Amino acid sequence: MNQASTPSNALTAEQAAPRPGMRVARAILILLGVAGLAWGAWVLVDTVRIARLPGLALWVGAAIVVHDAVIAPLVLFAGVLLRRAGRRLAGTVVTVLQGTIVLGSIMTLIVVPEIVAQGLDPKNPTVLPLDYGTNLAVFWVVIAGVATAVSAALYARNSRADRRLSL
Amino acid sequence: MRRLLYEAQRSLASPVRNPRMATVIGRLLGAAFLVCFGTGLYSHFLQQPLPGMRLPTRPEFLYQFTEGTHIIAGIACFPLLLAKLYIVFPDLFAYPPVRSFVHLLERASTALFVGASLLQITIGLINTYHWYPWPFPFRQVHFALAWVLIGSLALHIGIKLPIIARFWRKRADYGPGTDHLTDAVPVERVAGSEAERLWGSSRPTGLTGRLIAYLDATPPADEKVSRRGFLATVGVAVATVVGLTAGQTFAPLDAVNVFGPRKKGVGQQGVPVNRTSKQANVTEAVIAGWTLTVVHGGLERSFTRAELERMPQTEVTLPIACVEGWSQMATWRGVRLRDLADLVGAGEETSFTLVSLEERGSFRQTQMGPEYVRDPLTLVALELNGETLDLEHGYPARMIAPGRPGVLQTKWLSRIEAITA
Repeated sequence: MNQASTPSNALTAEQAAPRPGMRVARAILILLGVAGLAWGAWVLVDTVRIARLPGLALWVGAAIVVHDAVIAPLVLFAGVLLRRAGRRLAGTVVTVLQGTIVLGSIMTLIVVPEIVAQGLDPKNPTVLPLDYGTNLAVFWVVIAGVATAVSAALYARNSRADRRLSL
Repeated sequence: MRRLLYEAQRSLASPVRNPRMATVIGRLLGAAFLVCFGTGLYSHFLQQPLPGMRLPTRPEFLYQFTEGTHIIAGIACFPLLLAKLYIVFPDLFAYPPVRSFVHLLERASTALFVGASLLQITIGLINTYHWYPWPFPFRQVHFALAWVLIGSLALHIGIKLPIIARFWRKRADYGPGTDHLTDAVPVERVAGSEAERLWGSSRPTGLTGRLIAYLDATPPADEKVSRRGFLATVGVAVATVVGLTAGQTFAPLDAVNVFGPRKKGVGQQGVPVNRTSKQANVTEAVIAGWTLTVVHGGLERSFTRAELERMPQTEVTLPIACVEGWSQMATWRGVRLRDLADLVGAGEETSFTLVSLEERGSFRQTQMGPEYVRDPLTLVALELNGETLDLEHGYPARMIAPGRPGVLQTKWLSRIEAITA
């Protein structure tokens, strides 16, 4: 099998004959990295009760699963659906829409736990004092408005360019 | 299996998923991690200094700045980390999954790096919401994970250094063997030909086959537009998540602070509160008959609030800056701590233990080094913003010192004791 054509193996030639400086730098970084990991592991077992560690491992694993098996596929299919739906639209407009959805989703990801936390036992009225649900809704309306305006401007510019070309 | 992994990589192919983009976003994310690590370590040493460590007391807003930066950089990591993972996601489906023992270690270290990074920024964010849904202690785990992350970062850079070096600068040609990874040719063409070479023109059937056919029929994105759009999206997302939350510490952005967990000016006497009197179990009954006891060696003196009010008063403008990243400027009035220290004959190099009236809490009893004790801005505060200190802000008296985290600005102060060797 032709290894050289897969991205992860494309650099074998360079890796086989590294410059000496590169080799030293890599060795130092890898040693430092292993030392950092070992120190982190030591701090963990030194300060956190052993009985808590399985729960922590579960959360680290869950973080990977949530990203790789939920967020990433959703992003892939959202992108595919958008490109299909946007067949007739200019590439720039599809990209603007894509960016808007990504922006709104990231903000939502950050704010939804905030709304959940606000709904829990409010022990301290100076923590989470804002109306985050309403603010998030307004945020989506604003970015949708901006996306529409930008798309319209792109269309206007494209059609002006088309007219100039046809002259 | 092999076919599925190839098809997955092919379906995920995108003009933005290339090593140059991984390098561009990776170094921004790496910088954000380093900023978080440095500011986090500083905050850690303020709370748990190593023996003999002296910490800076100027500028007075130093901690407000470092901790505000910690939280801002942490929030910026959300779009950056998601972008980085988006770029390298096809690597998850590399074939063969494991080539050698070293490759297994490399993949395991990547998995740990990804999982720990995602968890670190998530628990850091949710901690600022005062919500603790996880089955482990936040402070200790956040600190240990910081070392795990910085170690993983060094390891990751060490492993990827040849690629990083090659793609560090923008070039028209990144050398042999990398054509398909750069601007010239879409990834899918090469990966597709690879799949076709391996299995001829036959395509998978059934549900998988239909799914792949569906994906194949989707119009590809324009390359240049995709790359610019991707970078613009990442930039706008970072600016947005930071811009709409940073107002909790950075006053010029207060007007657009719509998602920050704290709001400037919201709280008793215009100052937010981290731990309420109710949470600390400090009631009117507990503070009845209050005196402040100052101890040095065998000498012990007690002061009522009225006695403290008759001593020379000093007014200072200092921020209260929380480990959670919010901060609030305020005017404080009270007695200089060094005047009290002098009254019991404590020397220039004496550290003090500060004790609160609260019964429990990690910061009920804390220590203050001589650099803060002797500082002319360090007060036993009796007034806040021109009024008698509110119970929520530590009435009858609290500490306020320059450049220290809020948890060390002891509220409901009851005892100040010199630490004698």
